[in-house]
Amino acid sequence: MNCSNKYKILIVEDDTNIRSFIATMLEAAGYQALLADSCSSGLLMFSSYNPDLTILDLGLPDRDGLELLSEVRQKSASPIIILSARSDELDKVYALDHGANDYITKPFGSAELMARVRSALRNSLPRAEEGVLSGKFELDDLLIDYDARRFFMRGEEIKLTQTEYNIIALLSEHLGKVMTYSSIIKAVWGANDIGGTKKLQVNMANIRRKLGIKPGDNKYIVNELGVGYRMQSAE
Amino acid sequence: MKRRALRDGAVTLAIMFAVFIVSLVLSYLLSSGDAVSALFVFAVFLVSFLTDGYLWGFISAAVSMLIVNFAFTYPFFHFNFTLPENIVSALIFTTVALLTSTLTTQIKRTELIKREGEREKMRANLLRAVSHDLRTPLTAIYGSATTLLDNYQALSDEQICSMLRGITEDSESLLRMVENLLSVTRLDGGSVKINKMPTAVFDLFDSVIAKLNRRYPDVKISVNIPDGLLLVPMDALLIEQVLINLLENAVQHAKGFTKIELSANPEGEYAKFSVRDDGAGISPELIPELFTGRLGKGDSEGRGMGIGLSVCESIVRVHGGRITVTQLSPYGTEFSFSLEGASYELQ
Repeated sequence: MNCSNKYKILIVEDDTNIRSFIATMLEAAGYQALLADSCSSGLLMFSSYNPDLTILDLGLPDRDGLELLSEVRQKSASPIIILSARSDELDKVYALDHGANDYITKPFGSAELMARVRSALRNSLPRAEEGVLSGKFELDDLLIDYDARRFFMRGEEIKLTQTEYNIIALLSEHLGKVMTYSSIIKAVWGANDIGGTKKLQVNMANIRRKLGIKPGDNKYIVNELGVGYRMQSAE
Repeated sequence: MKRRALRDGAVTLAIMFAVFIVSLVLSYLLSSGDAVSALFVFAVFLVSFLTDGYLWGFISAAVSMLIVNFAFTYPFFHFNFTLPENIVSALIFTTVALLTSTLTTQIKRTELIKREGEREKMRANLLRAVSHDLRTPLTAIYGSATTLLDNYQALSDEQICSMLRGITEDSESLLRMVENLLSVTRLDGGSVKINKMPTAVFDLFDSVIAKLNRRYPDVKISVNIPDGLLLVPMDALLIEQVLINLLENAVQHAKGFTKIELSANPEGEYAKFSVRDDGAGISPELIPELFTGRLGKGDSEGRGMGIGLSVCESIVRVHGGRITVTQLSPYGTEFSFSLEGASYELQ
C-alpha cells in the first residue's frame, strides 16, 4: 500500500457498523482510514501512525474517550472531532474546552461528517501563535486586517467596538472550531468575569446586526445552541 | 431532606409558641386553665398533621405535656407526674400524635402511589403509540435493506436509488421520534432536570431555522423577532425541540399553506412564542386530543406527530407555561406559548 500522500484519519469507535460506515465514507472521499475500537488501541494507533485527524467516540468500552483526548493533546495538536450523543451537552463543552476541535452529534449523515472533516483538516494548517495575530484573514466576503484591527465586508469597512473586534478576531483565529461560551468569555474579558454570558450575548447581537445576519443564514458565524459559536465559510 | 427537617422544625416551633401565647392570654382572661389542655391537643394534632413522619408529633406531644403540667395545672409552676389527670393528659397527647401522624403518612403515601400510577399510565400510553409509530419506518428500512442485499444485481440503478432514498427518509423520521422520546425520558421520572439558562432568542431561532432548512430545503419560514436582545431563561435544547416539532407539524399538516411564520414577542416579563400557518386548519373535534399523544396513528404522513405535540406540551409545562392552539380567521392555525422571566433591551 502506498498512500503516503493521503490524509490519514483515525476512527476510534467501538460500534462495528458505525466504524465501518465512517471508514467507507472516508475512503470513498480519498482519505486513508485507520480503525480502533477502544481507547487503548486508539492511543497505540495514534502514536504509531500519527494521523492527520482523529474521529473520537466518547463512549468507549475500556476508558472514557476524554482521557484519550487529553493524552493526545499532551503531545500533538492534530485535530480531533468528537462523536457525541445529543444528551451529553456537558461532555461536548468539556471536550471542546479541553482540546477537541469540533464535535458532531449522532446520528449524522455523510454530508455533515465530510464537511466537518474537510473543515478540520483545512484549519489545521499552521496558524499564527496564539495571541499574536498578524497579516490579513479572508473568509468568503469578509476580511480582517489584524495589524490595523479593522474589519471589512464586501470591501467596505464595518465599524466594530474593541470588544466586538476581539470576539471576531478570536473566532477567526480558531476558524472552523466551536468556541464555547466560557472560552470566548475567558479570552475576551479574562477568567471568571461576572456577567460574561450576558455581555457576550449583547455583543453577539450587535455583531450580527452589523453583519446583517438573519436567523438560519448559517454564514460567517454559526451558533451551536447551548455550546458556543464558530466561524466557518459557507459551504 | 435536611431542608424538610428544618421546615418541619420551624413549623413545630411556630405552632407550639403560638398555642403557648394563646393559652397564656386565655387563662389570664378566663382566670382558668380549662381550655388550655384542649388547645394543646389541637397543637399536637396540627404539628402531626403538617409535618413528615412521627418525630415532630411526638416532640410536640412531649413539650405540650410538660408545659401543661408545669404552667397550667395544679400545682402551678411545678412538675407533677403523679396526679391521675396529668397522666391521662400525657396519654391523650401521645395518642393524638401517634394517630394523626399515622393517618397523615398514610394519606401522603396513597397520593404518591396514585400519582405514580397516573404517570405510569401516561408512559404506557405513550410507549404504545410510539412502538406502533416506530415499527412502520423500521419495517420499511428493514425490508428495503434486505431487498437490496439479496437482489443487488437484479435491481436497476433507479430502483436501488429509490430504495436508498426511502431508507434515508424513514431513518430521518425515526430519528425525530427518538429525539422526542429522549426529551420525554428526560422530563419523566418525577425529578425534572431542565437546565434553564438565559438564551438569546436569536440564537434559538437561528438554530431552529438552520435545522428546518436542512430538512425541508423548499419550505421558506418567515421569522419575526424584535430588533435588539431578547433573553429568555429556558432549556434551549428542549424549547428548540418544541419549535421544530411545531414547525414540522405545520409543514406536514397545514394543508395548502402558503406561509409559515415563527415569531417571538416580549410581553412584559414574558416572551410569547408562536408558530402560525395559513393552511386549512385543524378540525375542531381533534383539538382536545391534540396534545395527548393519541393522534397521528394510521396516517403515514402524521407518523409520530401526535407524540411530537404531547412532547411540546410537557416541555412547555415544565417551563411553567402552557401551550395553546388558536384557529385563525379566515384560515390557519396558531400554536403559542409564553415563557416567564424574559428581558428585552433595544440597543
